[in-house]
Parts: sequence; structure tokens; C-alpha cells
Amino acid sequence: MKHFTRLALAGALAAATAGASMAQELYAPNLAYRTGPFAATGIPLMNGQADYMTLLNERDGGIGGAKIDFEECETGYSTEKGVECYEKTKGKAIVTQPWSTGITLQVLPKTNVDEIPILAPGYGFSPMMDGKTFQWAFNTPAGYWDAADMIIQYLESQGSLDGKTIAFLHLDHPYGKEPIPVLEQLAADKGFELSPIPVGLKEMQNQSAQWLQIRRMRPDYVVMWGWGAMNAGAITEAVKTKFPMENFLGVWWSGHDADLAIAGADAKGYKSISWSFPNMDAPVMKDIQSMVIDKGMSKTDETEMKGVFYSRGIVISAILAEGIRAAQAEYGTAEINAEQLRWGLEHIDMTEERIAELGLDGMVPPFKTSCANHTGHSGGWMLEWDGEKFVKVSDLLTPNVAGYQALAEEKAKEYADANAPWPVNEGCDAM
Amino acid sequence: MLYRTAGQFKTSYEADQALFPVKQDAFLLGFIMVLAWVIFPLTASEFTFQTLLIPILIYSLAALGLNILTGYAGQLSLGTAAFMGVGAYACYKMITIMPWMNPIIAILLSGVFSAGVGVAFGIPSLRIKGFYLAIATLAAQFFLVWLFEKWSWLYNDNASGAIQVPNLDIFGLYVSGPQADSIVQYYLVLFIVCLLTWVCINLTRGNLGRTWKATRDMDIAAELIGINLMKSKLTAFAISSYVVGVAGALFVFMWRGAAEPNLFDIPLSFRILFIAIIGGLGSILGNYLGAILIVGLPVVLNLVPEALGIPVSSSMVEHLNFMIVGGLIVFFLIVEPHGLAQLWRLLREKLILWPFPY
Repeated sequence: MKHFTRLALAGALAAATAGASMAQELYAPNLAYRTGPFAATGIPLMNGQADYMTLLNERDGGIGGAKIDFEECETGYSTEKGVECYEKTKGKAIVTQPWSTGITLQVLPKTNVDEIPILAPGYGFSPMMDGKTFQWAFNTPAGYWDAADMIIQYLESQGSLDGKTIAFLHLDHPYGKEPIPVLEQLAADKGFELSPIPVGLKEMQNQSAQWLQIRRMRPDYVVMWGWGAMNAGAITEAVKTKFPMENFLGVWWSGHDADLAIAGADAKGYKSISWSFPNMDAPVMKDIQSMVIDKGMSKTDETEMKGVFYSRGIVISAILAEGIRAAQAEYGTAEINAEQLRWGLEHIDMTEERIAELGLDGMVPPFKTSCANHTGHSGGWMLEWDGEKFVKVSDLLTPNVAGYQALAEEKAKEYADANAPWPVNEGCDAM
Repeated sequence: MLYRTAGQFKTSYEADQALFPVKQDAFLLGFIMVLAWVIFPLTASEFTFQTLLIPILIYSLAALGLNILTGYAGQLSLGTAAFMGVGAYACYKMITIMPWMNPIIAILLSGVFSAGVGVAFGIPSLRIKGFYLAIATLAAQFFLVWLFEKWSWLYNDNASGAIQVPNLDIFGLYVSGPQADSIVQYYLVLFIVCLLTWVCINLTRGNLGRTWKATRDMDIAAELIGINLMKSKLTAFAISSYVVGVAGALFVFMWRGAAEPNLFDIPLSFRILFIAIIGGLGSILGNYLGAILIVGLPVVLNLVPEALGIPVSSSMVEHLNFMIVGGLIVFFLIVEPHGLAQLWRLLREKLILWPFPY
């Protein structure tokens, strides 16, 4: 019993001292997944995010004088753990990064009650772009519907799509189904035939049935919405069935270097749309190398650092940092709260100049968010695997948002109705 | 000393067969009830409600349902999660078709649907036993999860394929959905779990329970003494699936708030089977002890390094957690292969004699 009291005392003391040192800090937790089935993709993303925040703390003393406490809470990509982490951190957090569609689904309805912004860069529910309905959710700089539109745009630039067939290989999960409404709409407009081929969660590593179907169907293009083990599975199957790699394209989560490195030169020509690019010559990469990695404050390694996902992590943290800066400038205080950060995230203006100032040259396209537009629709580049790494093969593609604006509003309204009472931000003008 | 039974005389058969032949047991239960109904709700934080109290109760209820089938009637089932899914989807459909329906009634009714499905998949148990039956229930598991994915009517043709719990209220008090307070949800879950546990205790001590136990211990002998095996096995399937279905509805409506079909896949079935096995097959108390070990302990362990001020990365804690919980499971099963409930039973026997053992 005595021992237990001492233990409890030590705990209380630690909590108290931790509280004291928090005074000049901004608590921005990250629901990381360095363990579990998707750890291979999670680790580079988490390392990139953490390293950029460490850089800001080391080089600039944080943001606006306040250090960033970028604590990770491990979820292993499990929804149950994710909710546990959310509950644990929400008390003092200024932002939450849920990192999985499942966790986003759980956390999204709670945000109106808890009033904490969710930052889901490049993932989550596409209608979240309607900032009027989804006051607290941000999927900057681009959503899945943007990705679908940009991929089709790129394919169209290679020749008319009229009469062509596109196989849509996707994970049979909310994430994989997300772009279907927009792809169907585009198919009707452009006259191509879309045939969705679902891959069940249990079939991710063994897609022989799906690829047999693709071989029989002989589509002109295969577009993939894959995640985790599904990407490597699809790429190896494509190589095995001798599908022409240049006609095989993926969303940004299907462009992980390690997945392609397995197939190496055989996968040459595979493409992935992306709103981030690993520009090793960018000043920020050099700063991270000298001030974070060389000092032993990072968990990353050299190969990983050159990958697309690591640089995506950096871009995500840079977006969050810009949101924090905007809020600090508006409210004149370093220690902003969750509601002020929401304002900040609604007023990010990533112009070319600002990107250069931040040292992110060529790593992220310019974009601007507003109260009604929580995505920013930055657009992206088509990246191609050259056998060793990803290279840019297109100019900046910008999505034609007007094409699915109405759809987004309709789906957002559906969501709000299903979750009534759902407060809407009436202060916003229409998108 | 604490458990001294001296002076507690039984003067009738009824007193001898009572649920609590020893007074201290009743006191202990009363104490736990006070904890659950008064102390915990008054002191718990939002975090405790959402990660410890509510999930432990719901998992205990699901394990209780499985225990009736596997522990009492001896029919091994690997389809628990799918039956939970039936309950959850049934509740979702009832609530969306009839929004005026009282959520408590909807939750209690949703078990009826899973009971029906459970009986249908229980029919093979009349011919096959043991591992073969386990495979048959595995078929239910695969089939039902596939159905949740493909039958879009079940999730109202929602584009994401997931079900989202709406805000539901009873007389203006929100009980589910994001607007609901944790404490309200906790009391509702606690009420339903207590109610069903009470029913199950009485069922397993009564005629039906004895029939199940006879079927479990030797079905040929049971048949010879005049037990109708079909009735015995199918009632076990029906009641077990009912409880599991209600647990599934609570799981989604009172705790998760949203569910994708693959939530009800095999890992959940195994998790509940582990709770039942580690807690102790053929016991009611065991389900609660098992759920505390499997569901509650990892959450508590995650908090330890931070509370002590030890700087360990969150992913490291997760790895350690796996090792510690895994080690404990092996330890408990070696110390007492019949589960935690049996461990408590032995401890209680010792306590009655203590401090003067023979």
C-alpha cells in the first residue's frame, strides 16, 4: 500500500511538472500508426511530420515563440485505439489528426460538440470541402474527388477518352468507394466506360482474381485506389500479368516508394497523382538534414527521407504550421486555442512566394483556403516511377471543382440531415 | 476472517440453494453495484467512460452471450461478431425506418433479429459437433459480413458503406449520437447489461440451464434421460444470439457511433471468444473479469509510462503493451486453465477457511 501511494505521488508530481512546462507550448497531437498492418506507410509519414515540427522548434523556437508539443498517440490504425487517443488528447489539443478513414468517421460527428479542428490532409470524406457544413474538418490541400478529376484530366491529355474503358481497382472500404460518384459523373461526360473492381480487405495481398478479370476485360487504363498491402499486391500482379505499366495509375496513397521498389525496374511507367513531391534540393530538406537528422533527433533514415511519403509528412506539418501562424497573427497571441486555430486553417494562403519563403520549393502546389472552402483544391502533379524513384511527368494539374460542387453540397446536406441537429456555419458565403 | 461463514445456518432447502449461500457474497455484489451505479459515474471522466467503463460493459455482455452457447451448452461458435453485426444493423434499420421508436426498445428488439439468424445458423448443430460446428459458424461469420458489405439497403445506400448513428433522444435527453453525454450512455448500457445478466443468471440456474449443461457434458446421455436435444441446442443458439445481438446494437449505438462492415469481422469474434475463455467458460462472473483483462488492462497500461513521467514513445508503449497483455494471458491460463472465474472461486474457498486452513 505504501508503495502504491508513493507511485501515485510520483505520478501526480510528474503530471504537475508536465503541466508547468506546457505553459509556453501548443499541444498538437498526432494519432500516429507506427505499428499494425499499415505501419510501413505510416512510419515515413509520421517521421516527416515530426521532423518538420522538430525543425521549427530547433531553428525558430517554435511558431510565434510558442513551441509545438507534437506528441504522438499510437493507434496502430485501429479505430478503437484511435477513439481512445482522441478522448485522451482532446482536453488540451488544438487540433486532431485522425489518420484513418475509420477514425475520421468516428471523430467527425463529435467535432461540433468538442469543437476541435480535424486536419485530414488528402484523406477523409470528400464533401468535407464544404466548410459551411463541416465547420471543424479540413482536408487540405486536396480531396479524393480532386484526385479523381485530375487523373481523368491527365488521361484525357494523352488522347480522347471517348469509347475507352477504365478499370477502377479499389479497396472495398469507405476509402476506396469515395471517388466513385465523381468518376461515374466524368464517365458520363467524357464517354468512357468505368468498371469498378473491388478488392476485399482479406484479398489485398492476393489479387489474382481481380487481375484475371482485368486481363479478360482488357481495359485501356487501370486506376487504383489502394492502401497498405493492396498497393504492393496490385503492382506485383500487374507486373506478373504483363499489364502495360504506363496505363496504370494510382491515387496519392498508392505512390509509396517502398511498394514500387519491390518490383523495381519492372514497374517503370507506373504513375501516381500527388500534391507533394520530394524535392531534395529544397532549403527545408537541407535544414532538416543539418538541424534534425544530423543531430540525431529523427527516427528516419536516408532511403526513407528521399521518398514521397516522408516529404508528404513535411508538407502536412507545414500546412498545420501555416494555420497556426495565421491564427496567431489574427488573434495577437502565441498561445492560440482550438477555435482560433480553426480560423487560422480557414485562412491559409500558400502562394508561390510563401512556399519559397518556407523553403518548400516544388514540394507543394499553391492553394488558398477560406471559410467555405476547407480543401483549397491545390491540384497536384502526376508522378511517374522511373525504376528507382518518382519523377514529375506533368505540369501542375488543377481540378475542375465546379464539376462536383453541387454533388458535394448535396452529400454534405445529406450528412447534416442524418446527424441532425447539426449546426451549420451561416456566416460563410457560398463556395 | 472476512469470509467467515460460521453462524450462517441454513434451515431450509431453499436457503441452501439460494444464489448467495454465503452472506459476504451478497455484500460484495452490493458493493460492486454501488461502485457501478454511484461511485464510478460520479467520479469518471469522459475518457474513462469512453475507453473503460462503457466498452468493458459491452464486451462483457457479448462474451456473456457467447458463454451461454459455448460455456453452458457446449456449442463452439466463431460467429459472434457477425451476430453482433446483425443486431447493430437491425437496430440501425429500425431507427431509420421508424424514427419515433424509443431507442431502448429498438436496442432490445434488435436482439430478436440476431436470435432468428442465430437459430438458422444453429440448425447444423443438430447434426455436427465440435470443430465441425465451429466451421459452420465460421461460414455464418463470412456470409454475414459479406452481406453487410453488399446489401446496400442495410446501410441506406450510403456512399461510404458505413452506418452512422443519428442523434436519438428519450424525452429530450440525447442517448446516442454525438450529442449524447457519456454518463447517459453509461447508465443506459449499465441498465441493459444488468437486466440481461440477471435474466441469464436465472436462466442458467434453472431448468433450461440444466438442460444445456447436460447437453454439453454428454449429449447421448442427455438424450437418454429424456432431454430434447433439438430444443436444448436451438434455445441456446436463440438466447445466446439475442444477448450478442443486443451487445452489438449497444456496441454501435452507445459506444462507437459509426460502423463499417469489416468491424464485425473475425478479429472481433476471436476477441470475444478470448474474453469468454480467459474469464472462464460456463460462468457469468468470468465474462466481466475477462473483459477487464482484455479490454480494460491495455488502456490502463498505456497510461502508466506517462503518469510515471517515463519518456517512452507511444509506439513503444504499444509494443510493450502487446507483450505484457500476451504474457498475462499465458500466465493466467497456466495458473488456472479454467479461467479467471475459477481463480476467484478457489480464492474464495481459501478465504472462507483463512486464517485457519486445515
